[in-house]
Amino acid sequence: MTTDSFKDLRTAPRPSAGTPAPMAGPAQAGRVATAGPAQAGRVQAAGPGAGANPGPDGPARLNRRPARRKGLSERNRPLWMLIPGGLLMFVIIVVPLLLGIFMSTLSLDQYTLRKWVSAPFIGVENFVEALTSSPLLHSVWLSVSYSLIAMVVTLPLGIAAAVATQNSFRGRAVVRSIFLVPYVLPSFVVATVWRTMFQPDGVIDSALGSVGIDAGLWLNGPQTFWTLVLVQIWASWPFIYLLALSGLQSVDHEVHEASALDGALWWNKLRYVVFPYLKGPLALAFLIGMLHHINNFTLPFVLFGVPAPADVEVLPILTYVTSFQSFRFGLSAAMAFVSLVLIAIPLFIYLRAVKLDDAETPGGKK
Amino acid sequence: MTATATAERTGAAPSFRPGSKRQHEVTRLLPGPLLACILVFLCALVLIPVAYIFLASVNSDIGVANGEFVPSTFSLENYGKIWSSVGLATGLANSVAVAGMTAVVSAALSIATAYVLVRYQFRGRLTALRGLLALQSVPGTLMVLPVFVLFSSSASYLGIQVIGTQWGLFITYLTFAMPFSTWVMVTYLRGLPRELEEAARIDGASNVGVLVRIILPLSWPGIVVSGIFAFLLGWNDVLFASVMTRPESQTAAVALQVFGASQEGGAIPLYGQMMAASLVCAAPVVILYLIFQRYLVGGLTAGGVK
Repeated sequence: MTTDSFKDLRTAPRPSAGTPAPMAGPAQAGRVATAGPAQAGRVQAAGPGAGANPGPDGPARLNRRPARRKGLSERNRPLWMLIPGGLLMFVIIVVPLLLGIFMSTLSLDQYTLRKWVSAPFIGVENFVEALTSSPLLHSVWLSVSYSLIAMVVTLPLGIAAAVATQNSFRGRAVVRSIFLVPYVLPSFVVATVWRTMFQPDGVIDSALGSVGIDAGLWLNGPQTFWTLVLVQIWASWPFIYLLALSGLQSVDHEVHEASALDGALWWNKLRYVVFPYLKGPLALAFLIGMLHHINNFTLPFVLFGVPAPADVEVLPILTYVTSFQSFRFGLSAAMAFVSLVLIAIPLFIYLRAVKLDDAETPGGKK
Repeated sequence: MTATATAERTGAAPSFRPGSKRQHEVTRLLPGPLLACILVFLCALVLIPVAYIFLASVNSDIGVANGEFVPSTFSLENYGKIWSSVGLATGLANSVAVAGMTAVVSAALSIATAYVLVRYQFRGRLTALRGLLALQSVPGTLMVLPVFVLFSSSASYLGIQVIGTQWGLFITYLTFAMPFSTWVMVTYLRGLPRELEEAARIDGASNVGVLVRIILPLSWPGIVVSGIFAFLLGWNDVLFASVMTRPESQTAAVALQVFGASQEGGAIPLYGQMMAASLVCAAPVVILYLIFQRYLVGGLTAGGVK
C-alpha cells in the first residue's frame, strides 16, 4: 500500500554547490560533520532488523563513538526538550494503559476501587467472564459490522464528492466548505440534532409519513443499529472526501491530456486513469476511518443515552456502562483490553504503511 | 507511450494555460448533468439537517415534537433561555478555558518535541515517531477508567485534588492532544529548510535560540493547525468530561447532555433550547474552521487523522 497523502510533504533542500560564497565554508564543514551521526543512525536502524551488530547494541556503539569526531547535531542535542511532552504522554497515557491491563486482573468494584492496590487478584477470570457470559462478543460483532457498513457507504459518497469538486466551477469554494460542515460539527452536536430529528413523530417520521412510510422507532429496538449507521455515515463521509481530494490532486496534468487525446469516455477515464491514483489515500482513509468508527464513543452515547439499546451496545458503550453504571471496573478493564486488541489489527497495518521519515532524512526507513 | 509524448508536446504549447476553457475540458472528470446531480444531492444531504437546527431553534417545543420542519411560530426566546436553564454559560466558559489552554500549551510542547524529533538523531527516534501515531488511536474508553483511578489516587496519596477540577480535564486533553499535534508539527517542520538554522548556529545561536528565533516564526501555520486540533479535542470531548467534572466545572458538551437527561420526565423536552444550545456550541468550532480552512485541511491530510 502506498500512502500518497504523505508524499506531498516537502523535503528539505540539501545544501548544494549553489550556496552563497561566504556560507560555503562553514556549511560544507557542517555537512561533513553531520555525515557522522547520519551514518550512525543508519547503522542503528539496520541493526535490530538485520541482527548485524555483534554483541549487545549499547557497548559496541559507545566504543566506536569517541574514535570519530562528533557531529554538530550530536554534540549538543537538546534532547531535554522531549522531556515535557514525553513525560506527559508517559504519565497520562502509558502508565494508565499499563494500569488498565493490571486492573483487568483484579476483582474491582465500587467497594474495592478506593483501595485498588490491595484489591483481590483474580488472574484471567475477568477475561473469562467477559468472553463467555457478557455481551462482549456481541459488541465486538456490532462494532465491526457497523464500522464496516458505514465505511462501505461513505467511500462512494466521499469519492463522488471529491470527483465532483475537483474541477473548478462557479461557487466551488462554497460547496467545498459546505461539504466539510458535517465533519466540523462536534460529534455531540451531530448526535443531539439527529436524536431530535429521529424522535417518534419527529421531523423524519413526519417526512416519511407524508410519503406513506411508517418507519417505526428509530431510537429504540432493533432499528437503532441502522440509526447509528446512518448518522455515522452523515458525520464521516467528508473525511473520505478530504483524503480522496488529496489523491485527485496528485493526478498529473499530462495524464488528463493523454486520456483526452485517446478520447477516453468519462467513465473509462475515471475507472482506469483516475481511480488508481486514489488507491493509496483511500486505503489510508479506510484504516483510519475504521479506527475512528470502532473508537467512537460520543455518537452512540449521545444518540441513545446509557444504558443503550442492546442493538447499539458497541464496544466503547459497553465498556463505559460496565464501568460507570454497573461498577464492574475489573471486568470493564478486561473488555477495554479486548477492544485494544481489536484496534491493534488496523493500527498495525497503518503503522506498517505509514512513511515515518523523509527519504532524504538520514536514518529513515521506508 | 505515444499519447504521453504528444501530451508533453501540447503541454509546452502557449495556448495551454491553467484555467483556460480548453484546459477545463481536458481535466473534466464528469459530464455536466451528473456533476450537478451529485452536487445537489450532497449539498442537500448536508444542508437539510443543518437548516433544521436553525429552524428548530426558533420553533416552539411542541412544534418540534410534532415534526414540523418549517416552524409555525417563530421566536428567538430560546436563545435567551439557554444561558440560565442548564448552565450553558458556565459550560461554555469552562470549555473555552480548558480547550483554549490545551491548545496553547499543546502547541508549545509539540513544537519543541517535533523539533527534536525532526532535526536530531537519537536512539529510539523511529520508535518515538511510531509511538506518536499509535497513541493517537488508543481508544478513550480504554483510558478513562485508569486515568480516573490515577487521578483519584493522586488525591488520596499526594493530597492533590484533580477529579472535578478543570486542571484534571486540562491535563487529560493536553496529553491526548499531544500525539496528533506533535505529528502535525513533525510533518510541518520537515518542510522547513535547514540552512536558516545552520546560519543561526554559525552566528552563535543556542538550541533554544534556534527554536524560538528561527523555527517559531517560520511555523505559524503548523502551530495554528496543531493548536486548533488540540482545541477541538477538548471542545468535542464528552467521555472524560462526563466522568471527571462536577456541575461547576462541566464543559459545554456536558451541559448540552443535561437537556437529554431532562426529557425523561414525560413532559415535552426543551427541544427548541436544545437546538439553540447545539448551535451555540457548534458556532465557535465552525467559525474557527472556516477561518483556517486552508491550513486545517492540509494539516489533516498530512496527519491523516481527525
